Amino acid sequence: MAKAAVIEKPKTKASKPQTVWIGNGNEAVARAIIQIGYDGEGYYPITPSSDAGEAVSKAFAAGETDIAFVPLTSELAAISACAGMAIAGGRVVDVTSANGLLLKIEEMPAISGLALPMVLNLSTRDVSAPLNIKNGHSDLAACLGMGWMILCAPTVQATYDMNILALKVAEAVNLPAIVAYDGFHTSHANRRIEIFAEKEDVREFLGEKPKGTTIFDVENPHTFGPYMNDDLINTKVQIDAKMARAYEVLPGIFEEYAKWSGREYGFVERYGADDAEVVMVMINTGGETAKDAVDRLVGRGEKVAVVIPKVLRPFPEKELVEAVAGARTILVGERVSQYGASNYLANELGAALQRVGTKAEIIQRTYGVGGLTLTSEDAEKLFEIAQGWPNLDDADEQKRKWYYGAWPGDIDYTPAVKIEAATGEDKSLNIGAEKVNLRELSQMPIRFEKHAACPGCGIFVNLNLFLRGIDGPVVVFFNTGCGMVVTTGYPYTTFKVPYFHNLFHNASSTATGVVEMYKRFRAQGKLSKEITFIAISGDGGTDIGMDQVIGAALRNDPFILLEYDNKGYMNTGAQMCYTGIKGQRNSNAHIGPQQKGKTTHHKDVIEILRGTNCSYLFQAAESNAVDMIRKARKAQQTVRDGGFAFGKLWSVCPLNWGMKESNGPASVKAAVDSCLFPLYEIEKGITTLNYDPEKRKKKVPVTDAFKLMGAGFAHMMKPDFAEIVADVQGEVDRRWARLKAKAENEIL
Amino acid sequence: MSEDYKLAFADDLGFCNILLSAIGGDGANMAAKMLFKLGVLEVGLDGGYDAKYGSEKKGTPTDVSVRFCKAGTAVRAVGPTTRAHILVVFHESLIRPLALNKGLYANAIVIVNSTKSPEEVRDILELNSGRVICLDASKIAEETHSRLNMPMLAMLCNVLSFPAKVVEEAVKKQWPRAAEANVAAFRAAVSTAKEAQFGADGKYPLVEFSESRGGLGFLNMLPGGRIDALKHSTVERDNAEGRLGPNPIFDAEECTSCGMCLTVCPDPGAIVWKEKKMTGIDSKFCKSCMRCVEICPRTGRALRDPHKKEEAKETTVAGEKK
Repeated sequence: MAKAAVIEKPKTKASKPQTVWIGNGNEAVARAIIQIGYDGEGYYPITPSSDAGEAVSKAFAAGETDIAFVPLTSELAAISACAGMAIAGGRVVDVTSANGLLLKIEEMPAISGLALPMVLNLSTRDVSAPLNIKNGHSDLAACLGMGWMILCAPTVQATYDMNILALKVAEAVNLPAIVAYDGFHTSHANRRIEIFAEKEDVREFLGEKPKGTTIFDVENPHTFGPYMNDDLINTKVQIDAKMARAYEVLPGIFEEYAKWSGREYGFVERYGADDAEVVMVMINTGGETAKDAVDRLVGRGEKVAVVIPKVLRPFPEKELVEAVAGARTILVGERVSQYGASNYLANELGAALQRVGTKAEIIQRTYGVGGLTLTSEDAEKLFEIAQGWPNLDDADEQKRKWYYGAWPGDIDYTPAVKIEAATGEDKSLNIGAEKVNLRELSQMPIRFEKHAACPGCGIFVNLNLFLRGIDGPVVVFFNTGCGMVVTTGYPYTTFKVPYFHNLFHNASSTATGVVEMYKRFRAQGKLSKEITFIAISGDGGTDIGMDQVIGAALRNDPFILLEYDNKGYMNTGAQMCYTGIKGQRNSNAHIGPQQKGKTTHHKDVIEILRGTNCSYLFQAAESNAVDMIRKARKAQQTVRDGGFAFGKLWSVCPLNWGMKESNGPASVKAAVDSCLFPLYEIEKGITTLNYDPEKRKKKVPVTDAFKLMGAGFAHMMKPDFAEIVADVQGEVDRRWARLKAKAENEIL
Repeated sequence: MSEDYKLAFADDLGFCNILLSAIGGDGANMAAKMLFKLGVLEVGLDGGYDAKYGSEKKGTPTDVSVRFCKAGTAVRAVGPTTRAHILVVFHESLIRPLALNKGLYANAIVIVNSTKSPEEVRDILELNSGRVICLDASKIAEETHSRLNMPMLAMLCNVLSFPAKVVEEAVKKQWPRAAEANVAAFRAAVSTAKEAQFGADGKYPLVEFSESRGGLGFLNMLPGGRIDALKHSTVERDNAEGRLGPNPIFDAEECTSCGMCLTVCPDPGAIVWKEKKMTGIDSKFCKSCMRCVEICPRTGRALRDPHKKEEAKETTVAGEKK
């Protein structure tokens, strides 16, 4: 066995007490974060990393940690807050996945360039269109060259340990570090692991954060992040030198950690026959699972081994070359494809082998993307491919670079047409109509049907109703969110009209692009149909996407933007978004001695947009259906006249509010009657109240709404929330009084 | 404890694989996590608890698995098991659509929430061989004011021979407020279950696990993964799977077709209208949220919640009276 290899069952005895702990990979990250005692964590939810932050937030509410846990409006915001905390001298950590990492990627080379040591936990997931929320390493591959160290954790145990190791090496060399563990496969796998029994031991192992120059040094001020021209090349030399330094110090850190914890790590793990002729190289859970295949194959006398790199940056070239030494064929399996080129790990290993003159054949397989699980049986099949190489029957398998687990499909498959498109051209019940007749609107075409949303979902109550007030052809855009994930699932779609989902925060800009071409092609006489474009957002989409919403409103782009206001990121596990109510329980805003749910009042998005002076703004609710239809008609007329229309629709979430499905209609009515959600509109700056519960003597306290809104709000009735509820009531009444004044005075 | 405990099954890597098939909201995840903790902390086993994740919503099928092995065995595999020794089915109605016999070992143990007999369930499952245990877990949960996951967990702990006392104590500790109800559910499950043993009599073959792949692959998938909506509509899906219970009961004679129900319905197509008149509820669309019943000005007459005790009149799809 090569020297670089680490034996599976360590011989080192822990000098510090360890304790058995059961949990999943995300919870193990949170455990490490709490034990380390970080100063701060910038946070934004994304599947499958979300609950790593949620567990920290829960521990904060319980008073178990005093970390500055800050939920922000986007991933870029989250890591930027981390950069701010770090430049202030704080010890900081972040968690993310996939699109989250790509959104924050602009800040990644900034943090390494600024020499800020921090840890970013990456619960790996594929980045793609069509959207997939499951495991793949395309996010990891995107940040190989960012100047961040990368540690790869194949198990829940390693995920915990590497959080401690990563911070240790980061602070030793002043570079940030990523801990990459597999989304779902590790992040959501519950295992029995061992952790330090005492957090003090973890803190002693790490020591105090080394003192450095911070932004607080007013006596000796420094300029961080200046403009730089020719000198930039020298910063690159510095980063590489730090990587080299990390390569030197890591073995010592691994060794020391083994003495403290009894758990051994190295640059590379090798498992299998000493004289292996065929070696498979895989990071993370793929490599770990392949050990089971190795056991079976070696048991049958086959000469195979698996090599699992644990560190990708600094790239452990020497250790990897040693670990694959003697192999005739090396299969590098990667959960990513560098389209049009060899995959990165195969490339880097190939280059390393060429430098030492090894002539082993390297073949590569992309496997396990989009969440496909690699079983030990799959790993055996991959070994078979490598053993058979290059004499394989299948033409695709003869390719040096190919895919494991893809399927060709049946080219004779010719599905029949099953539905008619909902063009809406046969019905025109709204345009020009004076009255709203619900019975008549039952004849409006159904634009979507058979979605998989939870029973009683408010999103689709709103869309079902609103769309009955819209005539003619419709095109819809969806932000990523519940409304999106429950309506399409390849190869099936719920929509009978054209539909486009293009990521999370950018539905409004996507719609802008489409309506610009609509205007252009109509002017050119290439398009005769009059189409109404409706973008649908929610689940925090107007938090992360607020700048783009404001942009569309400022340009007064002719489309309708609807926000279903369900008061949380309901598709990713009910994290807080800014439309949530103060005191509301969220999975990242818990209730305990140190925190009482959401700490701020609900965002007033209509009032934010008022300042854009766009054509039409409104709030509508199912409880006032005639009003909603009237607003849909007005919104359609607005966009036909060339203006932008934005509507916020109160949207119940029985699942995450913990509410009885049948309470939906009554709870919406209470929200409207309490003025928690006033029904009003702003047409070219002029405010109109569409429903005045006071005048009708129907105004109720906000608690009447909370009572019906389910378990997520039930705690608001408790005595220790009296102050918060009074505060919410006060804020609701203040906003209502201001709204009335605006409705009474045109100039406001 | 750990010294004398012996796992009933072990595959070539030393694992006993348990698969729980349930619907989002059933509490199968919670039950599996509890089982895993019991196995590790109380019985001295090791293993893993994994689930198949998608988006988080009520009413969709979920796979949850627990793998147990002797302490000291390397735990490496991830994801739910595809080869189960023990299958736990929270709703008998899941068996056929999910083809739950796939991947089952010979001489498996199958626990099913069903009012049917073990013989009938064996035929529905097309089980090659093994022990089928049927219990009316829905009724037990309702009668004991517990949750569906408790009687199912009880039966599972029973077949694994986890000591009842230890299990009960752990359940009490985990959910102190529901301690009495849960323990009652545990005892009712074990005392009312019916079971039968079936040998490999050749009636049904062993079925290997396989992923079902559709006709579209990399040769014929439309560019960009786009969907031709006219050919690949969800319209044929049956929303009845995973709905909240029976649909609202509609009485056309009592209905004035005011249209209020339409304003609160989240599932277009569920409320059927013909020529400006409401004609019924389509059970293939309706998920039984009862929002329409709540809003109906003639609630209790035109639209009724079947759970409420008024005299029920039968309706059929599209509401034509029998």
